[in-house]
Amino acid sequence: MASTIVTFELAGREVEVMVKPMTTLQAVLRYQLGFTSVKEGCRQGGCGSCTVLVDGEPMMSCLLPVEDVAGRRVTTLETITPDEGVHPIQQAFIDHTAFQCGYCTPGMIMISKALLDHDPHPTREAIVDALAGNLCRCTGYEPIVAAVEGAAQATAGKGAPR
Amino acid sequence: MTVREYLSPRSLPEALSLMERYGPDLLVMAGGTVAMPLINDGISLPERVMGLRHAGLDGIAQRGDVLGIGAATTLTQLLAQDAVPLLREAARNTASWSIRNMGTVGGNLFTPPPGGDVAVALLALDARVRLAGPRGERTLPLADFFTGFMTNALAEDELLVEIQVPTTVRETAFIKFGRKHANTPAVVTVAIAVERRDGRIGTARIALGAAGPHPIRVADAEAAIVGSALESDAIQRAADAAMRECRPFTDAIATEWYRRRMVGVFVKRALERVVA
Amino acid sequence: MSPALNVVGRSVARSDGIGHVTGRTQYTTDHVFPGMLHLKIVRSPAHHARIRHIDLSEAERVPGFVRALTYRDVPHNVYTILGLIGVEPEEEFVLAEDRLRYKGEPIVAIVAESEEAALDAVARVKLDLEELPAVFDVEEALKPGAPIVTHWGNNTFMYEGHPCRRVRFGDVEEAFARADHIVEGVYDTKPIEHAAIETTACIAVPEANGRYTVYTNSQAVYFSLDNTAIILQIPGNRLHFVGGTVGGGFGGKVDVIVEPLATLAAIKTNRPVKYAYSRSEEMQVSSTRSAWRIYVKDGVTRDGHIIARKVTSYADSGAYSRQTPYALTKHAANAAGPYAIPNVSIDAYCVYTNRVPSSAMRGFGITMASFAIEVQMDKIAELVGLDPWSIRFINAYRDGDVKPHRKVVEDATLIETMQAAAALVGHDLPAEFRTMTSAPRHAGEE
Repeated sequence: MASTIVTFELAGREVEVMVKPMTTLQAVLRYQLGFTSVKEGCRQGGCGSCTVLVDGEPMMSCLLPVEDVAGRRVTTLETITPDEGVHPIQQAFIDHTAFQCGYCTPGMIMISKALLDHDPHPTREAIVDALAGNLCRCTGYEPIVAAVEGAAQATAGKGAPR
Repeated sequence: MTVREYLSPRSLPEALSLMERYGPDLLVMAGGTVAMPLINDGISLPERVMGLRHAGLDGIAQRGDVLGIGAATTLTQLLAQDAVPLLREAARNTASWSIRNMGTVGGNLFTPPPGGDVAVALLALDARVRLAGPRGERTLPLADFFTGFMTNALAEDELLVEIQVPTTVRETAFIKFGRKHANTPAVVTVAIAVERRDGRIGTARIALGAAGPHPIRVADAEAAIVGSALESDAIQRAADAAMRECRPFTDAIATEWYRRRMVGVFVKRALERVVA
Repeated sequence: MSPALNVVGRSVARSDGIGHVTGRTQYTTDHVFPGMLHLKIVRSPAHHARIRHIDLSEAERVPGFVRALTYRDVPHNVYTILGLIGVEPEEEFVLAEDRLRYKGEPIVAIVAESEEAALDAVARVKLDLEELPAVFDVEEALKPGAPIVTHWGNNTFMYEGHPCRRVRFGDVEEAFARADHIVEGVYDTKPIEHAAIETTACIAVPEANGRYTVYTNSQAVYFSLDNTAIILQIPGNRLHFVGGTVGGGFGGKVDVIVEPLATLAAIKTNRPVKYAYSRSEEMQVSSTRSAWRIYVKDGVTRDGHIIARKVTSYADSGAYSRQTPYALTKHAANAAGPYAIPNVSIDAYCVYTNRVPSSAMRGFGITMASFAIEVQMDKIAELVGLDPWSIRFINAYRDGDVKPHRKVVEDATLIETMQAAAALVGHDLPAEFRTMTSAPRHAGEE
């Protein structure tokens, strides 16, 4: 069957993409729109490197036919990065050196963003639980948890900015 | 053949008519957490896929003593309800946040072991499933739904639409034992629901995951505690019986040998948790 | 601190930090090129088999199919990664010819307009195979009558004519005869997949000047370039490899697997070609850390001095040796551990089996030796009635000691490291160990 046009909200504007049936949101973001912060670690829903937010809820974009996000708001690492400087969560990841190879980092920041939006003062246990679907193989989990704690403090009372 | 068409029905009747039109080759998908990995890797090459995300099959409603859970209800939605604590426990111990936002309760019944932890809890709760097809609807006990490894009682033209759970069962326990604390396939999953009469166990349901071709009940283990007050020797007898009865397998997560022993350990611990 | 030091002792922001936290760091598959083709591989479903026939006819009819590559298309199909440093013989087949030696071995490369079409065509290639007996255990592989894995008729890698890497130091048999105790152990380790979050990948792009730019996440860019030039029989100056950004490697990206085929496909089609492993491929067919079996026999005096150590090790190289021969050499140099042992004998075998080839992974060859030796040290301590600290201080090597492979020890820090570790965990060491140093021994000191 022919391609279809799907429309969704990205970075505050409506984007329109022409896709073959069941193209994943991950593939659309990476290969049609150039949003390559959305990584490809497994395409199995197993690593979390492709985590994006759909209407504010974290999802694995590798498992999501783009048709299913028609009319929804999609948030990626690009869309939360300010024009100048960085988001407080990004700053916290730098301050805690919460990365080595960096490949899991976009997904880690997106799941952290979702967590702090839902719960601005998460316990350590809540942070660990939220990160459970995002794998890091350089094993920087401790600095990542510390970065999320740091980001929570930095944004305390204000909520994480969009 | 790459996917030629992705169908996204907006209602149950529309979904059923699409199934009728395209027949058994139509791949039905809800949250996509089981089907999409296979499609992405070229292991599954369906021509047509029907997605249920917008078919109106999600949502949880209490009707008397029964909780009706739409088949496309996400695990995150299941985690948010408080009518059945055992289901919260099961949802909390399944996958990760992002996957719980996608994976569905109905889909969990189609997840091959060692996945399908929510299904284990549903089996312990004696849930029923509502199936819809061109000839109307029928319900049957979940215990009769599973027929083998990745096979079930659904007719080719039927769709699972709802899971019905009694809300009257209060004494329950759930333990999932995996290689990690979270987001991990089960070595073994145990869900238990008991009802007492005069302090003694009247009915007992002990369900196991990753211990058979699908979630299973262990009748001898259940019989071992019926009539008891869950004294430690009754618990031990049940654990021993469960070890004998279970039908575990070897995979990358654990061996059949290890799983069988862990069935004994965790049936015992789950029963002790019921006592506590 | 010296005022001249402006980095040591300070926290310095990583230069790649901003790129990583904003997602702007460009990894290999973040590059997209117009007209880019996708390469997927038909792999062996058998552990060991003879190929009777390959039928591509149905695959060729898949819409989007561009072409298939077989071994006949590869100019120099049999190679050895370490051939660059003189290791022989050439043994690994870029694409299988008549025999399959491990499950997952590449047979045919399919190039297609889309990844879906490539996967579809791969699924439609029909293989007619004759399955052969396979061997999966290092010691089974060395028994007479075992299935022979290699194409030259021998299941061990040959080190200068010997079936194992050998170290001989002193006289172990004489020392065993006068030892108060003999402590023996056998240690097995399993393969480990590196499982970097970014899978192995490259994109080969034809350029207007006749060169090929190859974007790769290889951990060994020049190794990959040189081997690609050899396999494709083209001058190295026609290849421009762009690497350096690696989404996790740990030794898992030092083999030369994707670049030669992607570049060959780019040459044959004159279009950019992407060859990226799926997660399943990464887990199932990329190299692992080797499985090892290590036999250790120690001769020990009643006061805890190890006077002899005999080690026989087998590393499971899988079907091809890749970097494993080098691992065995490192292993042989380190299998006595960081201890001063006057009599040592080591035989370290690199064994071929029908398992997935193993290769480099963090400390390969040595990590497994350390596991075996340190368990052995604890066994010895228990036997002679010493605690685990004491047995290690008593036997620790020091500057000026000669290791079994004749390397004079320099800059030894085992003693000082253990002292620091003891302090960190609040363990009180006896004065003799607290004051011990790695300084060279006095004449006559044990």
